[in-house]
Amino acid sequence: MSTAVNDKVRDTDVLPERIKHFPFPFSGDIYRYSANVEPCGKVVTTEAGAWGGRLLHVDEHYLAELKDRDEVLDRDPSRLQVLPHMRPAVWDAISTLLPALAEEYPDTMSFDREGNICRWRNSLQDLDVEFTFGDDDSLPMGPLRFLGSQIQDDLVFLDQRQDSLWLDAGVVTFAADWSVGFDVGMKFMEVHHPVPRVTEEKIASRAEQFLMRLQPGEKYRRTNWTLTIDRRLDTSTETYPNWAHDRVTIADDPALPDRLHLRVEIQHMIRLPHSGAVLFMIRSYLLPLRDIARVPVWRENMGRVLAELPNDMAEYKGIIHYRKAASDWLLAN
Amino acid sequence: MTATALQTKVHPALEGSLLLEVTSVRAQTNSITSISFGHPLGEQLPSYVPGSHLVVQYGTGANSYSLTGAGSAPTEYTISVLRVEDGAGGSLAMHALSVGDRVQVSRPRSAFAPAATAKHHLLIAAGIGITPVLSHARYAAEWGASASLIYVHRPGTGAHVEDARELLGSDLTECTDRNSFREVLTTKLTTQKLGTHLYVCGPTDFMDSVLEQARDLGWPKGLLHSEAFSAAALDDGQPFAVNLVRSGVKLDVPAGVSLLETLESAGLNIPNMCRKGICGECAAPVLRGAPQHRDLYLTDQEKADNTTIMCCVSRSLDKELELDL
Amino acid sequence: MRTASQSPATGTGGEPGFRGVISVSFGAADASADHDADGVSRQDLRFASANPEALANLRSVLAHSRVGVRLVLAGPPADVHAAASAVAVCGLVDEEITILCDEVGPRVIFCGHCHTSTTTDHAIGTDVVCQGCATTLTFTDHFSRRVGGYLGFSAHAEEAA
Ligand code: HEM
Ligand code: FES
Ligand SMILES: [Zn+2]
Repeated sequence: MSTAVNDKVRDTDVLPERIKHFPFPFSGDIYRYSANVEPCGKVVTTEAGAWGGRLLHVDEHYLAELKDRDEVLDRDPSRLQVLPHMRPAVWDAISTLLPALAEEYPDTMSFDREGNICRWRNSLQDLDVEFTFGDDDSLPMGPLRFLGSQIQDDLVFLDQRQDSLWLDAGVVTFAADWSVGFDVGMKFMEVHHPVPRVTEEKIASRAEQFLMRLQPGEKYRRTNWTLTIDRRLDTSTETYPNWAHDRVTIADDPALPDRLHLRVEIQHMIRLPHSGAVLFMIRSYLLPLRDIARVPVWRENMGRVLAELPNDMAEYKGIIHYRKAASDWLLAN
Repeated sequence: MTATALQTKVHPALEGSLLLEVTSVRAQTNSITSISFGHPLGEQLPSYVPGSHLVVQYGTGANSYSLTGAGSAPTEYTISVLRVEDGAGGSLAMHALSVGDRVQVSRPRSAFAPAATAKHHLLIAAGIGITPVLSHARYAAEWGASASLIYVHRPGTGAHVEDARELLGSDLTECTDRNSFREVLTTKLTTQKLGTHLYVCGPTDFMDSVLEQARDLGWPKGLLHSEAFSAAALDDGQPFAVNLVRSGVKLDVPAGVSLLETLESAGLNIPNMCRKGICGECAAPVLRGAPQHRDLYLTDQEKADNTTIMCCVSRSLDKELELDL
Repeated sequence: MRTASQSPATGTGGEPGFRGVISVSFGAADASADHDADGVSRQDLRFASANPEALANLRSVLAHSRVGVRLVLAGPPADVHAAASAVAVCGLVDEEITILCDEVGPRVIFCGHCHTSTTTDHAIGTDVVCQGCATTLTFTDHFSRRVGGYLGFSAHAEEAA
């Protein structure tokens, strides 16, 4: 008994950081949609380590992902949308998230504000900028693109009016099969219309009620997951023709365990204090099946979840052609 | 005053609250005083949504007051309080504060927010109702939004009249009697460009009559906003008892403490996730008694059945609930 | 654009201060017939389609109207959706607008890849060729009120070599 425990400790000790901090989303062999929201900041221990201690997380992919985002926005500016009335919300997010980031990473970042003059330093990017709160021209690339260049999360802003939340702004370069350019201007329920089950099961309407009651300063989170072929963060509707074909060929590809990734989004929901907008943050983590398989409990959980997942959910997630191949590999290992 | 203003036990409504220091006290009129609170160490205070209110503790009670600033990265929270001689005592306690006193205040709460999409903000205030509306006017000025104000006050007794004149110039209409207000209101309600939102704050009958006239003139509900204190947060509820049949213990659930917290402090391990009545994790079987359902999880039918309670937010309509725990 | 008897002349906008019912009909539809407006003053606007000129005209009528006004939009989906999107930008809320949308008729398909709008008579679940990028698109009932159309995405991308 004691040796078994020691073995296990030794096993997880040598696991690389990307596995240790991975937010593995399954707690059993069955997965269904639910209103899985919980307060932000609670540390979740997993079989391999832990995640969730913070709102903003800088990891080893920081510079690479921000470069990726920058290139996506250069190619396709429609991934950044700000309806005119959301300008205050964007500035509110800047004055909320930059200080939070500096607080998490005081050795590399700092934020100072005197009146409306703000100064942001980020030594990871060799950056020292001064800007004026509320003045779009004081940040040459524009306030939302600037904020998106400092954190790995995609950002979505919702305005609350007429008893609904409206998706009225966002910078979304790493969408899991949706289009912010199409969704901007929709109500929360309209956004979720394509998702099977969540309307019938009242999950979306309850989530919206919950979000509308959020008070300033409250922070919540949930996870969501799908599968992605290769380390491709930009799986938006816009680029679908470039990556859709992989969904058919991957099942027979001997490289499946290395190419196929479990993609987990940690989604944070906060009420911005000054504009009153709801900020929805989506941080995507990718881990190849080969890494998942290094944690025996994960391997089994995920293998069974993929085998059991109802067809409508598998179809919606775009994994229907290859989930069996993935599940077989995980369970055979 | 310092001795009474310094509270030892925090009122349940002030959970997560701030201990602030009075930084200035200014008489606005004979009966209205403006009081500013700052962080004892001069730190910046949390920003707030225009039209927000603070809950301020006094003695054993707590009262809500509207904040008058625009709300961006403030170093002070300022409220203006009308002295009510025969009230519950809150306004008298506020008027007795002096610089340096420490007071427990909530984080600002938003229940009267401006509509971000408005093409124009038509603000209407009577008497002390000027306070949240002034916050709106300041925010509109900061962001270059279009706003106008109708302010009803008796000559010489209006608070913040100078502030309003300076902020709004010709977009301010002052009315010093009900008749002139009625005329002004009718004109304004029939001449607003599309996309105008109306905000009203003042005595309840004043707000009711403005809203009624607006509706009669064809204003849709979505354009009308009135100050309704504490609509957002759940209240503390009444104390009740739970009888845990399987564990054989009886526990008291005081006001302001949730059933979930009570069960946890008694050593029970109740699954939970959101602690907000949405995720469904903390369901407990009810054997007897009628829960006061306050969650978003159970369906209407399940609520009517009274066989399940979500312990994180729901309470009891009966003095005692029997649970299968 | 066809202009009906009571509608304002092109470009001049509506009656200043108007707070009654504005009935807007596209194509063969008749918004005024569907709306009972006893004793309420009304303006009828008739357009062949929701082209930029028609929408500019509608906006100018709204610019002269005042809160209290009600808008009725009737006609084929593509036109009614385009008009609803245009008037939402003017600040109108859902309660102020009645939409009488034909069940059949042209709709707009928004290409999720190149963002071009293509108008089609095809039914939901069928294919249409994008006018922008020539991709064969399939579309569902996922609808954007701002775009005034349904999301289309490549029908054969998963099979393609
Ligand atoms: C606050 C803001 C939120 C935004 C902006 C948002 C947005 C989205 C979007 C854009 C999608 C993709 C829909 C598509 O296929 O076009 C989605 C999927 C989904 N959302 Fe949300 N969401 C939010 C919050 C929530 C919450 C709180 C819940 C549940 C409690 C939830 C549950 C889901 C589920 C179950 C899916 C399907 C995911 C999948 O299977 O991959 N969402 N959401
Ligand atoms: S803990 Fe989520 S409903 Fe109670
Ligand atoms: Zn196209």
